[in-house]
Amino acid sequence: MMILAWLTQLVFVPALSPLCIGIIKKIKARFQNRQGATIFQPYKDIWKLMHKDEIISSDASWIFRFAPCIIFAATLVIGVSIPLFASFLRNTFTGDLLVVVYTLALGTFFLALAGMDTGSAFGGFGSSREMTVAALAEGGLILSLFTTALMSGTTNLFAISDAEILLATQFFLPSILAFAGFFIILLAETGRFPFDNPATHLELTMIHEAMILEYSGKRLALIEWAAANKFFIFAALGINLFFPYGIAQNAGVNAIFLGVIALLVKIFILCFIIAIIESTMAKFRFFRLPDLLVTSFILSAVAIGLIQI
Amino acid sequence: MNRDNLKHYISKDVHVEFSQNAGIFEVPVSRIKEVAHDLHSKNCSLKLITATDERKEQGCFKIWYVFGAPTEHSFIIPYIQLKNTEQFPSISSVIRGSWNYERKIQTFFGLIPVGHPDPRPIILHENWPENLYPLQKNVPWNTRPKDAQRNEENLSLPADKSNKNGETRRTYTFQEVGGEGMYEIPVGPIHAGIIEPGHFRFSVAGEEIILLEPRLGFTHKGSEKLFETLPPNDMARLSEKISGDSSFSHSLAFCQALEQLSDVIAPKRARYLRVIYAELERLANHCGDIGAIMIDTGFNFGGANGARLREMVMRLNERLTGSRFLRGVNVRGGVTKDIGIEEKQMLSSDLAHLLKDFSEVMKIAENSASLLNRLKGTGVLSYKIAVDHGATGIAAKAVGLKNDARIDFPYAAYDEIHLNTVETEESGDVYARFQVRIKEVRASIKLIEQALKTLPDGPIETKTTGIFKKNAVDISVVEGWRGEILYFLKTDSLGNIERVAPRDPSFVNWSLLGYAGAHNVVPDFPLINKSFNLSYTGNDL
Repeated sequence: MMILAWLTQLVFVPALSPLCIGIIKKIKARFQNRQGATIFQPYKDIWKLMHKDEIISSDASWIFRFAPCIIFAATLVIGVSIPLFASFLRNTFTGDLLVVVYTLALGTFFLALAGMDTGSAFGGFGSSREMTVAALAEGGLILSLFTTALMSGTTNLFAISDAEILLATQFFLPSILAFAGFFIILLAETGRFPFDNPATHLELTMIHEAMILEYSGKRLALIEWAAANKFFIFAALGINLFFPYGIAQNAGVNAIFLGVIALLVKIFILCFIIAIIESTMAKFRFFRLPDLLVTSFILSAVAIGLIQI
Repeated sequence: MNRDNLKHYISKDVHVEFSQNAGIFEVPVSRIKEVAHDLHSKNCSLKLITATDERKEQGCFKIWYVFGAPTEHSFIIPYIQLKNTEQFPSISSVIRGSWNYERKIQTFFGLIPVGHPDPRPIILHENWPENLYPLQKNVPWNTRPKDAQRNEENLSLPADKSNKNGETRRTYTFQEVGGEGMYEIPVGPIHAGIIEPGHFRFSVAGEEIILLEPRLGFTHKGSEKLFETLPPNDMARLSEKISGDSSFSHSLAFCQALEQLSDVIAPKRARYLRVIYAELERLANHCGDIGAIMIDTGFNFGGANGARLREMVMRLNERLTGSRFLRGVNVRGGVTKDIGIEEKQMLSSDLAHLLKDFSEVMKIAENSASLLNRLKGTGVLSYKIAVDHGATGIAAKAVGLKNDARIDFPYAAYDEIHLNTVETEESGDVYARFQVRIKEVRASIKLIEQALKTLPDGPIETKTTGIFKKNAVDISVVEGWRGEILYFLKTDSLGNIERVAPRDPSFVNWSLLGYAGAHNVVPDFPLINKSFNLSYTGNDL
């Protein structure tokens, strides 16, 4: 049973992440009175891209070639290092909060390098924008996660979600504040509204899309897949650290089944919220983004101040 | 047109010829600057400067300066003759709006505007041979110059190398901004979305745009030259393709010009129908633009609904005329498609439905703080710049200029169906241009309803002979949805049309974009560009 649970954990993120993107797109389409593509379209897109030829600029170095693998691998490693449907899988080696945050940063770092590598104007400013956002988002992310660590007395993510104490009376306010802070970072890091528009065709407004403008074929598929993974990882982190109810705390079949269902339902709710945000508001001006990220930082800082042990 | 009133604008000692809507007179070359300045200071705005090659019949080039006198509802056209010279004085020092017209004359006629600050060619690119001026009459319309191919090959040469014939690459120099931390972003001509080609050169400090220079001409098709070779009916079809989204307004302007040239007046019913169709075109494009502005801010709800509303009008167009873009409707002497009693009722109920739908969408949009925040204060165009460059259409209305050809130079049935006021805004930002469109949508629906109510009976087309006045100059203006569309026509001594100069409003307003874009952040530029939504093909011709 343990082995089965581990295997599930291993393939869980890459297997389900494109579905999340598909669901968000579908909900958005319905909000716009459109039929929209099927929710399995992202899988088809990845499959299609895998079978396409690639064009790589003659100016590109090894960074451009290897970055997609590194970025994708990073999301795979994090996928097994965070609590998804089961908190009994104590991964003491990579399940630490800091390891997860900075492995994610490693992916961002290589993506930004790859954006600049070909020397195109768009890649350059995509990377510069991504770095601006990432640098400001890091503080908020670390602080909001630290709030949960302080409340449960450990930095092991599995242990934090196992504790289920976050919404307990004495921690109610700080955990809600920290979740608000975390949610802003989630939107920023995964390139959603109001930070970035994943559906835009305007090259001058892009952040994430500008960095990957030079990619095609298999490498593009990997990057798109990694971006979907990253979204799933952030969604799962937010859900399991702040609302871990229903997560499997022992290796029983029922518990695991319930854990998977609970996770999927909560992720669907999150996707729905994000789709609503993307359908009802406009993107922020680029120079207003730092304000929002600083807000996230302050929310988490206040949350830490409110913790009474 | 009151000829006596018009004479106040013109000094007494010149002989003025009057056409239906214009006073035309010759000015000595040395005095044109003074005359232009004088007219400009009497609140006549420069509409167009263009040249004609009349070396065969008159042994000279002529340059025509078309000024509009809105209070007289007519035009004043001084012209100069260039005999045995290829130079003419530039008036760009007195009227900034003349700048690009003179550049265009230089590029296409080889006449040199002396004293012009910007000698770079416009529209034609480096592959075009030097010293070949396509609008001169001796240049054939249907042969590709030999040099063009070779110059294209030279374009791939490195900047400092020459090929085996010793030719180097020809270059176009963009304006440069120096200083630490400045860098240039070349964007286009191919873009990530499906839009027309145009190159934009940004000089930026971080994300702030310091200088923005558009370079167009990628869709140059030689339309002006083609006009000279076609029979009049085909010319009308060609005018529909000058800028596809303004098909009806362009063909209306052109057909009106033909009617004036042969002294034909379209029947009353046709003139009312023209108002209806022209407003339908405005309605469709404004709805589309309102949606497109919203989608460029990422406000997807508004974007989807804008596209939906536009589609509703397009289908209405198709049902009425068989063409989504109202093509093939205008002919000289009237229109080809009538609106029957049944269709009339359907049209009014559809419009009422559209207005209700539109108001609901706008109510939601106007309550979205995040949308308004993106629109307000972005891409501000100053009043002074707009006036100096002779801005037209939405860009002009958004800074508070009350210019509208439907009121200033009434055509079709606009003198009978009254537009209450020119819809304007003051702030000159994206929001102002957005608002002007919203107001014009409402006004257009009202105009159509009014026209439907008072639609007179009668024929919709007058038969014309196809004989034009000889040696005549003719100007026709239509307020398209972007702004004033002008057609300048000239016939030779046999009554053949020897020159057609269409002027899309885009040609004027492209020069404003750089000013509106400066000091915004780069990611806001697509939104600013969309709020102008200028035609590339209408500019490049």
